[in-house]
Amino acid sequence: MEESRLDTPIGAVQLFRAGPAGEGAPPLVYVHSAGGETHLEVLDELSKDFDVIVPVLPGWGESEGGDAIDGPEDVVFHLLDVLDALGLGADAPRPLVVGTSLGGWMALELATRYPDRVAGLVLVNPVGLHLDDAPIEEMFGRSPAELAEMLFADQSHPVAAAMHAMEEFTGDVGKQVEIPIELVLPMWKAMAATARIGWDPYLHNPKLRGRLHRVTVPVLVVAGAQDGLVPTAHAETYAAELPDARLEIVGGAAHWLPLERPQELAALVRVFAPVAAATR
Amino acid sequence: MRFFSFHLMPYIGLDPAYDGPAWVTCPNTLYDPAVGSALYNRYLDELVSAEDLGFDGVCVNEHHQNAYGLMPSPNLIASALARETTSMKIAVVGNALPLYDPPTRVAEEFALIDNISGGRLIAGMVVGGGPEYYSFSVNPAHARERFQEAHDLIVKAWTTPGPFEWVSKHFRIRYVNPWPRPVQQPHPEIWIPGAGSLETMEFVARHRYAYMGIPYFHLSVFERTFKMFRDACEAEGYEADPLQSGWLVPIYVAETDEQARREYEEHLWYFVKRLLPGITIQPPGYTSVRSLANVLKGAGTFMLNVDDWDEIVDGRYAIVGSPETVTEQLIDSIGRLGVGNVLGLFQLGSLPADLTARNLELFAAEVMPRLRAEFPSPSSRSLRDGIPAPRALARQPANP
Repeated sequence: MEESRLDTPIGAVQLFRAGPAGEGAPPLVYVHSAGGETHLEVLDELSKDFDVIVPVLPGWGESEGGDAIDGPEDVVFHLLDVLDALGLGADAPRPLVVGTSLGGWMALELATRYPDRVAGLVLVNPVGLHLDDAPIEEMFGRSPAELAEMLFADQSHPVAAAMHAMEEFTGDVGKQVEIPIELVLPMWKAMAATARIGWDPYLHNPKLRGRLHRVTVPVLVVAGAQDGLVPTAHAETYAAELPDARLEIVGGAAHWLPLERPQELAALVRVFAPVAAATR
Repeated sequence: MRFFSFHLMPYIGLDPAYDGPAWVTCPNTLYDPAVGSALYNRYLDELVSAEDLGFDGVCVNEHHQNAYGLMPSPNLIASALARETTSMKIAVVGNALPLYDPPTRVAEEFALIDNISGGRLIAGMVVGGGPEYYSFSVNPAHARERFQEAHDLIVKAWTTPGPFEWVSKHFRIRYVNPWPRPVQQPHPEIWIPGAGSLETMEFVARHRYAYMGIPYFHLSVFERTFKMFRDACEAEGYEADPLQSGWLVPIYVAETDEQARREYEEHLWYFVKRLLPGITIQPPGYTSVRSLANVLKGAGTFMLNVDDWDEIVDGRYAIVGSPETVTEQLIDSIGRLGVGNVLGLFQLGSLPADLTARNLELFAAEVMPRLRAEFPSPSSRSLRDGIPAPRALARQPANP
C-alpha cells in the first residue's frame, strides 16, 4: 500500500491506498477498529478490484488531530473532510465503506447523517449499540491475553499467540516495566484515541438506534459466530432494523474476523459490492 | 519543617479467600458494615490525637470503590475533624476535581470546612487515581482538561466577586456565586499530589502551589521527582521553597529495630499484597504521551513489586525502627529530597489501634523534636505567607 498525508482542518492524517492499475476502480474506504489496523490480507485481496483507501483516524498511528475528537460526531465531520479531500463527493463516485468494530460504528454514524455520501456499508462486528440483555464486554484495562480470548476463535492464530506471549503487559503500569516504550506507545495511543470516542457512553451512541432508518443504502452486516467482545445480537439487531440490510454470520471467527477469515470476508464484499452499486 | 499525620482509612479483615484486586471490582459484599463502623470511629480518634501530640496537621484523601482507603468523601471526614480539633491544619489531599460536576461543589465544601474549622483547611486538588475513571466512567482522556478547567473555576469562585458566568469546554454554569466564602483569603493553601507527570509539576510551579509526591516508590524516584519539580520552579523564574513540596511515607517507631519489624511486618504486607493490587491501573488517555516515559521509569520500583523486607528498608518504602533509626533515616531522606513537609502514614495496612497509638506517641515524643531542631523553619506560617503570591492572584482585587 502506498502511504501519503492528507491535510484536514484538524491536522494532517496518514493515509494508505492500493488498487488495480489504471483508472476507474470503484473506491472502497476502510475504517479501522480500535486497534488502528491498516495492513490486512483482506484489503490486499480487495485491492485487486477496488481502489482501497485506508485513512488513519485522528489520534491513531501518525495522524494528528486526536485532541479534536471528543465523540462519534467529531469523527463523522472528520470523515466528511477526508471524503471531500479525496474527491469522493456527493456527485463524484461514492465509496463502499467497510468498517470493523469501532470503524463499523463510525461508518453508521456517517451514513445515518449523510447517506448520500456512501454507496453502501459493510459492517464487520460493529459496535455502536447498547443492548440490555447482551452488553459489549469490557475491552479497556484488559491484558493482551484476555483480549485475545475475546477477539479470536482460534488462539493459535499468530496474532493471538503473540498477544498471549505479551501476558505480562497489562493496563497496569506497575507491571509494565519490562516493556520498551516503543512497543507500548502505539497501543497506548490507540486505546487513548478509542477512549475519546467510546469510553462513555461505552462503545455506543444511545441515539444511534433511533436513527438507523436514515441509512437508505444497502448494508452487509458480517458477524463472527464466536465473537467474545460483541454478542451476535448486535449484528442481528442492525440487520433487523436497518432498512436494507443482510446478515452473514461467519463460523470459525470471533471479533477479529478480518484476521481470521480474510478470504471469506473478501468474497462476501465482492458479492455485495454490485448490490450497493446497483442501488445508487 | 511541618509534620502531618496522614490516614488512608484502609479496610482491615479483607476475606483471606479473596485474591483479586482491592479496587474497582473488589466485591462490596466483602465490606462488613459492623467492622467498617468501628474502623471509622477508631480512625477518626487516631486523626484527632495528632493535635495534642503536636503535629502541624492531618491529611485525608479521596478514593472510591475500594478496600485500600475508605474515604469516598474526605470532606465529610474533614468536617468532623473541624469540629473535634481546634488548632491543627486539616489537609484534604485532595478532592478529585474531574469527578465533581459541577466543580463549584468543591469550592463550596472546601469553604464550608474552612469556615467550620476557623481557617484551618489545606485545599488539595487532584486528578484522581486511574481506578476512579473506571468507577465513575468519567472519560480518562478528558482527565487533565477537566482538572485544569475545574481548578480555574474553583480558584476564580474564591477570588472573584460573584455572581459570574463560567463557560469552558467541560463545564458551563450560568451563575457562579458560592456561599460560604473561605475564611482564609484569598483562599486556603493549595496542595497538588502528583506521580511524576511533567504537566502536573509545571502547573504547580506556575501557580506556586505545593507538590506532594504520590508514595510507594523507591527513594531514588522521589529524589528525581522533587529535583524535576525544583527545576520546574526555576523555569518559572524562582527558587522553590521547601514548604512547596511534601513526601508521603509510611513510618513505624517502636522501642528497638527488632521490635519494630516484628510488630509491623505482617501489617505492611497486608497493605502491599492485599490493598495495593489494582491501584496502578492506568485507563487509556489518562497519562499524556509526554509523561508516559517518566511514569514508566518509576513503575519498576513501585512497592507492589517489592517482596523482600530488606528492599522495603533499603528503598525507604517505609521508615521502620527505633526512634534513633527512624530519626537518622528521616534526616538523611529529607536532606536528599529537600522537602519541607513530611506526611507520615502512621497507620498502614492492618496495623491495629494500640500499635498505631504507640507509633504516633513515640514519633511525636522522640523523633519530631529532633527533626524540628535539624530542619528549623516556621511551622505556624502558611505557605501563602512564606512565598510570593501568585501573579494571577496579586492582580485580583480583594473581595469586599
